[in-house]
This record gives sequence, structure tokens and C-alpha cells, in this order.
Amino acid sequence: MSDVSLKAVRKSYGVLEVVHGVDLDIKAGEFVVFVGPSGCGKSTLLRMIAGLEPISGGEIAIGGRVVNDVPSPQRGIAMVFQSYALYPHMSVFDNMAFGLKLAKTPKAEVEARVREAARILQIEPYLDRMPKALSGGQRQRVAIGRAIVRNPKVFLFDEPLSNLDAALRAQTRVEIAKLHAALDATMIYVTHDQVEAMTLADRIVVLNAGRIEQVGSPLELYRNPVNTFVAGFIASQRMNFLEVKASANGLELPGGRVLALNHAGIAAVKTLGVRPEHLLLADAGNADLSGVLAVVEQFGEYALAYAELPGGETVTLKLDGAPALEVGQDVHMKLPGEGLHLFDADGRALR
Amino acid sequence: MESNAPSRLTAIALTFMAVIWISPFSWLILNAFNPLSTGQLEIPRAVGLDNFAQAVSGNAGRQFINSMMIAAGTATLSVIVGISAAYPLSRLKIPGRNAFLWTLVLLRMLPAAGVLVPLYFTAQRMGLLNQLGVIIALTVLNLPFTLLLLKNFFDTVPIELEEAAYVEGASLFQIVTKIVLPMSRAGIAVVWFFSFTGAWNEFLLPLIFARVQDAFPMSVGLYAAFGQQGAINYGFLTAFSIIYAAPAVGVYFLLRRNMNTGFAGVGVKG
Ligand SMILES: Nc1ncnc2c1ncn2[C@@H]1O[C@H](COP(=O)(O)OP(=O)(O)O)[C@@H](O)[C@H]1O
Ligand SMILES: [Mg+2]
Repeated sequence: MSDVSLKAVRKSYGVLEVVHGVDLDIKAGEFVVFVGPSGCGKSTLLRMIAGLEPISGGEIAIGGRVVNDVPSPQRGIAMVFQSYALYPHMSVFDNMAFGLKLAKTPKAEVEARVREAARILQIEPYLDRMPKALSGGQRQRVAIGRAIVRNPKVFLFDEPLSNLDAALRAQTRVEIAKLHAALDATMIYVTHDQVEAMTLADRIVVLNAGRIEQVGSPLELYRNPVNTFVAGFIASQRMNFLEVKASANGLELPGGRVLALNHAGIAAVKTLGVRPEHLLLADAGNADLSGVLAVVEQFGEYALAYAELPGGETVTLKLDGAPALEVGQDVHMKLPGEGLHLFDADGRALR
Repeated sequence: MESNAPSRLTAIALTFMAVIWISPFSWLILNAFNPLSTGQLEIPRAVGLDNFAQAVSGNAGRQFINSMMIAAGTATLSVIVGISAAYPLSRLKIPGRNAFLWTLVLLRMLPAAGVLVPLYFTAQRMGLLNQLGVIIALTVLNLPFTLLLLKNFFDTVPIELEEAAYVEGASLFQIVTKIVLPMSRAGIAVVWFFSFTGAWNEFLLPLIFARVQDAFPMSVGLYAAFGQQGAINYGFLTAFSIIYAAPAVGVYFLLRRNMNTGFAGVGVKG
């Protein structure tokens, strides 16, 4: 278990800078998830921590020791790759024992540690198999097992679940969470999937175009996103953003009705954000927004209704149960008293 | 289905083909095992290994050993030199590396006779007009194909496997010997096999480089054996031919198993 700290870490490929100065402190034992759209630099950041990419600028420290020039094997990390990177010509046992054997660990100890990891991950029956005789989920476990046997101070995961099908992904997600609790190790986990980020992380680091947008616990990010990017990215249903005009007594909504609001910085408000699960259905009389139902998706336990406003914007509502709605009907919506997000012209949240 | 005629016709045609295919081989085998061989296609009155004994002793035996040394030496040296050059070519971003490789291959398309003279004088200067010289010359001539083949095999080993091994503490040498080479063993086997048979069959280079009976390989020996004892000794020649052909066939069967299993890159994706 070690803490990891990044100070003004940069990465350039030639003249192209892809990570623009990242500062981050990860506490020992913490589960931190880097999340962001594809190409935002998550893998690059992780690979710099792993020692697979040279650092163009700044400083990375693991367990208090600056590791900029420390080769990967001496950093006390283990990495789980997206493709699992199992050695196809070695049995599961040999795959897991590879690092220990290189380190000239006594045979009995290699055996014991591999068996222990296999027991934790429930892959004991497959130890003699070759990787190609395993299912995707089993290979995934072997890859994690290979990391566990080396007893690293920091685990690094690069999109470890993205090759699994949805059901297996959910199951493995839960197991990784359990594993973190059991191993008590620092884990840094990269994903583009905000559900994995929300469910696994102690703290989420939202990255965009090589910069940190926000760092915080899942609920902090959900409740208080600092800008429209984080607000739109974190949550299973994307937040609705409405263009509004600030006036003396409130915000003029699309459709012309005015939302009475008392806020010191109201003059700067350009965008109003509201999550689909916070929007309420209302009568024509007391509605803030009205539109026509364009699509409705019924999931049984809840439904997503997509309403088209007269100005052409689409608003998503998440409704409990299975509401009786018909495409083409009028929908009237009321904004909630709480859970409204105000953003200025640059997309920054106003508190 | 309705009639047997076509299948009967097919059978006759196939038999005819088989006779045409098989008769040279049966001639070869019948004569080789016939101590009193006359060169006719006939059932031998006596069967024995005298011809083979003759073909592996004395001059002929030495030629067999020479051939083995040249072929195995060339194959092994080609593989070693090829690996050492193809791995960096596969992994390092060297500008124009593909153009370079293809240029080498195109140059190799020139008839070997075209480079024989410079090769000969180079070898003479370096005191390599011997078997080692033949091995080195053949390896050099093989190199373009060896490089191209091995590089393509190394290209299929995912870089993430090497990174995983590196993170686990493997040195570059360990990465190559424990990950890259085992995963490319089909490619290495192919290169070894082609170099072996190529060198085994090579005639011109050993003839010019060796120039003394003792250093001749079988390919040259076979040529020299015609008319050596006045009359053609068919029994000896057929046995000699069979022995000459055996290693290539044997190596092929040995390596075929290897080629069917374990192509690189199998079973990495979920
Ligand atoms: N070897 C490389 N050379 C040049 N650009 C690269 C290289 N590796 C990654 N990049 C660029 O760096 C950016 C971040 O990549 P990456 O960290 O892989 O993103 P992701 O967040 O999807 O993991 C991308 O724009 C990518 O094109
Ligand atoms: Mg990535």
C-alpha cells in the first residue's frame, strides 16, 4: 500500500502535448478511477505511472519516492492490461508465476502465492490450462491474479472490463470492489465507462483533453459538478442543458415561461442543467416546460421519455415505473426546487 | 449415383495416374534395395542394404556429413543472424525500414551466379574457401528472406505482452527469449527448414568453394558419381539419392507438427 502523487505531469509526443500538467494526490489504499472520453489521455497517464512511457515534465512519486527515472519493475506496481496480455504459450500457472520466477523466488513460495491468488479469484481448476482454453472472464481473472501474486504496492488497471459482455462486466465489477476491500491496496483504474467509475471509486478523476476537470467522490461529482463537461459525463443519463436568459426576476426558459430564482450571480447564468431523474411531470397549468413526446423507452422499472420543446431542444425525463405515455402527446414538466445546476457562458458551475 | 460408369472411369484414370507417379519411385526403391541392380524396373532376386552401406561409407559418407554440416550450419546461422536483425527491425521505428527490406529482397532476385564472382574473391581474401565460407555465403544470400519472414512473425507478437513482461521485471534478453521467440517458433521453424533444404540442395557454391573431393557435399558428390566407376552403378546411385532426399523429408515432418501448433497471437483477445 503506497500513496501516489503527481505534480504538474506532462506528456508530449513530439510537438503534440497530450497531457497538460496534471496534479493529483492519491492516498495509500485509495481506489481512484480516471474517467474520460476516449483519447483524453487516461492510458497515457496510467502508463507514465507504470513506467511504460517516459514523463515529459513534472514529477511522479510512489510511496514518497520520486520515480521519474526508476524503471518499471522497481516501482512496486502491477498492471492489468485491457487485452489481458496473457502469455499464450504458457499455462495459467506459468503466466501467474512468471514475475516471481524472474525474481528467483523459491519454488515453494511461488507455488504458495500462485495457489493463494488462484483461490481468491476462484481459478484454481484452470491452473494447468492454456489461456486460449479460457473464456474472456476467466482470462480476465488470470490477468488480475498475475498482478496479485507480485504483491504490489499499487495496482494499475487499464480498462480491464471493456472486453467482457455486459453481464460479466457487472459481476466482475463487484468482484474488483471486493478485491480492493480484501487486499487493502492502492488501486488506480482507468475507464471510459462512468458506471464503473461511479460504482468502484473512492474518488473519481474526470479527465478531458489531457486535463483534470474535477476530482471528487462519486456523489460529489453527481451533486456538484464544476462544469458542463463533468455534469454531462457523470450519471447514467446525461444531464439536460437548457439555454436560458437571465432577467431581473429569474430565468427565462425555452418556451417563454420564467423560473423565479434568487441567486447572487444570476446575471451570468447562460445554461440551466437538470438531471432527467429530477424533472417532474406536471399539468399544463403549473408547468415550466412543455413539449411533445418524441420517443419513450420503457425499461419496466423506469422509463425514459424524450420530449421535444417548441424551440427544437430535446429534454429527457426519467420516470419511475411504467407510465402510460403515448408518442405525440403533449408533455408538461416542472423543474424541481433542488437539483438545479447553473452554468455561466464558459460552462462553469455557479454555486 | 445412378450409374457406376463414371466412378469406374475415374478409378481407371486414377490408377493410370498412380502408375505414372509411382513407377519412378518404385524403380528407385527396387534398385536401391537390390544388391545386383542393373537399372531395370524388375523385382529384385535378392534384397539387401549393400547399396546403402556403400552410400554411407567412404567418400559418400563424408559427403553426407559435409551436407549435414553445411545445411544445419546455414539454417542455424540464418536463424540466429535473422533473429538478431529482425527483432529490432520489427520493434524500432526506423524510417524506411520496409523499403530497405524489400530492396534487399529484390536484389536477391538477381541470379546467384551474378554475385558468385565477388563472393568468391571475398571468401578467398578472408581465407574462407571452405565449408565455413559456404555456410556464411549462403546465410548472407538467405538473409533478405529470413529477415522479411521473421520480422513479419515478430510483428504479430502484441507489444502489450512485452510490456507486461517488462513490468514484471524481465530484461530485454528475457523478453526476447521467453516471450517473443517461443511465440514466433512457427516462423523460426519455417526459416530454419527453408534454409536447411536450400543449403542441402545448393550445388554451385560448394562446388566452387570446396574444390576438393573431401569437402564436397552430396549435391556435388551425386554429380561426380555419374560415370565415376566406368559404368553407372545404379544400385549405389539410387541408394545415394534416397539418402540425399531423406533429411529434407524428415525435417519437413519434424517441423510440420511445430507449424500446426502455436502461431503467434493466438488466444489473446477476449
Ligand atoms: N505513441 C503515440 N504517439 C502519438 N500520439 C499518441 C501516442 N499514444 C497516444 N497518443 C495520443 O495521446 C492521446 C491520449 O491517448 P490515450 O492516453 O491512449 O487516450 P485514452 O484516454 O483513450 O486512453 C490521444 O490523442 C492519442 O492519439
Ligand atoms: Mg486507453
